[in-house]
Amino acid sequence: MDLAFTPEEQAFREMIRAWVKEHLPPEISHKVHNALRLTREDMQGWAKILGKKGWLGFGWPKEFGGPGWTAVQKHLFEEECALAGAPRIIPFGPVMVAPVIMAFGNAEQQQRFLPGIASGEVWWSQGYSEPGSGSDLASVKTRAERVGDHYVVNGQKTWTTLGQYGDWMFNLVRTSNEGKPQTGISFLLLDMKSPGVTVRPIKLLDGECEVNEVFFDNVKVPAENLIGEENKGWTYAKHLLSHERTNIADVNRSKRELERLKRIARAEGVYDDLRFRDQIALLEVDIVALEMLVLRVLSAEKSGKNSLDIAGLLKIRGSEIQQRYAELMMLAAGPFSLPFIEEAMEAGWQGDAAAGALSGFPGGSLANAPLASTYFNLRKTTIYGGSNEVQRNIVAQTVLG
Amino acid sequence: MDFDFSDDQQSLRDAVRRWVEKGYTFERRRSIVAAGGFDRAAYNELAELGLTALTVPEAHGGLGQGPVDAMVAMEELGRGIVLEPLAQAFIASTVLSQYAPEAVQADWLPRIASGEALVVLAQQERKARYRLDICEAKAAAAQSGHALTAIKSIVPTGDQADAFLVPAQLDGAIALFLVERSAPGVSTRGYVTQDGSRAAEVQLENAPATLVTTDGLAALALAVDTGIAGVCAEAVGVMDQAVSLTVDYMNQRKQFGVVIASFQALRHRVADMKMQLELARSMSYYASLKLSAPPDERRRALARAKVQLGQSMRFVGQQSVQLHGGIGVTDEYIGSHYFKKLTQLEMTYGDTQHHLGEVSARMQDTAGVFA
Repeated sequence: MDLAFTPEEQAFREMIRAWVKEHLPPEISHKVHNALRLTREDMQGWAKILGKKGWLGFGWPKEFGGPGWTAVQKHLFEEECALAGAPRIIPFGPVMVAPVIMAFGNAEQQQRFLPGIASGEVWWSQGYSEPGSGSDLASVKTRAERVGDHYVVNGQKTWTTLGQYGDWMFNLVRTSNEGKPQTGISFLLLDMKSPGVTVRPIKLLDGECEVNEVFFDNVKVPAENLIGEENKGWTYAKHLLSHERTNIADVNRSKRELERLKRIARAEGVYDDLRFRDQIALLEVDIVALEMLVLRVLSAEKSGKNSLDIAGLLKIRGSEIQQRYAELMMLAAGPFSLPFIEEAMEAGWQGDAAAGALSGFPGGSLANAPLASTYFNLRKTTIYGGSNEVQRNIVAQTVLG
Repeated sequence: MDFDFSDDQQSLRDAVRRWVEKGYTFERRRSIVAAGGFDRAAYNELAELGLTALTVPEAHGGLGQGPVDAMVAMEELGRGIVLEPLAQAFIASTVLSQYAPEAVQADWLPRIASGEALVVLAQQERKARYRLDICEAKAAAAQSGHALTAIKSIVPTGDQADAFLVPAQLDGAIALFLVERSAPGVSTRGYVTQDGSRAAEVQLENAPATLVTTDGLAALALAVDTGIAGVCAEAVGVMDQAVSLTVDYMNQRKQFGVVIASFQALRHRVADMKMQLELARSMSYYASLKLSAPPDERRRALARAKVQLGQSMRFVGQQSVQLHGGIGVTDEYIGSHYFKKLTQLEMTYGDTQHHLGEVSARMQDTAGVFA
């Protein structure tokens, strides 16, 4: 049993670190490090930079152009990107739909869709949740009726993350009402520029429209956009969830945010308040423990011995930690987290010129501007991706049977 | 970066597990508790398995194994809530081999390895609580060596052990000494502790002592960190078994016509117990892997580990009782004794709050497993 990475793994890490340093635009990392708002160009720009290197689909099999990295290398790549302040990779294309197209799509679909995903040129959105289908995803009602050489889609998706930027969308649609709900679902790819598609943003507690409703009014979708077989969509969707993904723990980002929390606490004068300091210390222990858990899972994958079957634990704990650092940052700023000045959450804000001596961010520290918004936004982490309550059901199943 | 156990470690685990399952039943344990909480015969059986020799260097008759092997042994003993303090052998052998003069090592290490000498850490003082730097024990120069005057509390098997590792003030700094229980000036008062194991108050009045090192505080810190790693490993075994017992119970116990394992609130509680168990196991590995790090890094790591373990032990212990309903608070039921053991481990070598203070005081800008 050994904690250290091998010299080869270390060398890989250094290679990635150097490459990211050279290719990550500082204007973007500045925003990420300071939790300032990212534009579409920021997010897609980074995706295209990765795409050009062949690293946007860094988890793809080699036969589809992936770099063929080990589980440890993928972890190190994500860690170096996170620590450097790279934006999160928007997963819907490269991480979610691409593996489904690779595993279950036909050659024509693979040729048609994969290059645009790999390059970052095409922005994909996820059409899963509906107003009546959250945790009970199999109950989806958006209907796709086969008419000749196309499907007619009617219904509504919700919580579509960054759907306002989406070019294409993958959808779980109902193609049959017979039998159990799961057996009547199909996996359909849809051009968001199709007539009948309406995207309506949903404003969240942080003031931004990170998610959307998407309405389908008699949208015609060519039959060639069906992945695999009709009514097998649920199986394809579950395939995505079947491999242990340690990045759901998001521990790399949490380490970076812990450092930021300490900076903010120092700036606010609470780092030397032992009562506050101890709460940071507790979070630090939690993050180390989660990182150890992630490393154990990676090691099990590496040696192929026993899969630890604890993905649910990673999601539950990772999300709770994300919420906790956001909470502590906001609490550190205290009353100075309360002003809601949206311009101050954009990069390059120079203050309110007309206000003279009162022009700066109230309290004087611009770093406090996004803290409450981040706290409000991250309440989603214990809800999405399989709510933590559902995750606990799954974990309990593995223990109790 | 590899968390697999070697084949030898797996064999070690299997051997200890077999001994616990067949040779250290709950009935045997109960009779040991009734007789005072320590059975020398059981300790000798651990020695016969080679366990007391695990971390003694080969040059001194030991097996020369490392912290991970010690961890494996402690996990298995934890599963059986074994009363005999094997971890003291790891503490003594680690400290002596790193700090004692060669002659002292040659005198004691082989006997620790064979099980002939049970050497225990006697460091707790009334005013010190969990701090190591507060020490009222005094050493004075004596005819041959030193003489110690001290009262040390809650010494594991203190009235049965063969010798004590004792910190005491010498010329204004803490030094570490070895005192034999049979030496003049040594008196003990033994008792059973909450988890059934034996401890004692130990009083030394000008008791002859052998100097281990004048670098006493550093040696003591290593001793305690080794002890913490042992506690963490043992706790993982205890919790693992506690969860097992709880799961078995929940799948048998019926109320309202169904097994209680079908109630979602209880299922979620079990999921949370599993979470705590795996976080604890992860930090126990971390603790053992960091035992050979430089002192500051080691101290920070072990403090972090104890903070995680403390929280996990409390939750798993309390909830295993809760999920058993009424029988969970009875003496008759085996599970309750696992809870008592977990409770006692919290207050062994520093509780969660104490070590949180250590983490807090030693916090740096960057944090993580490798930082």
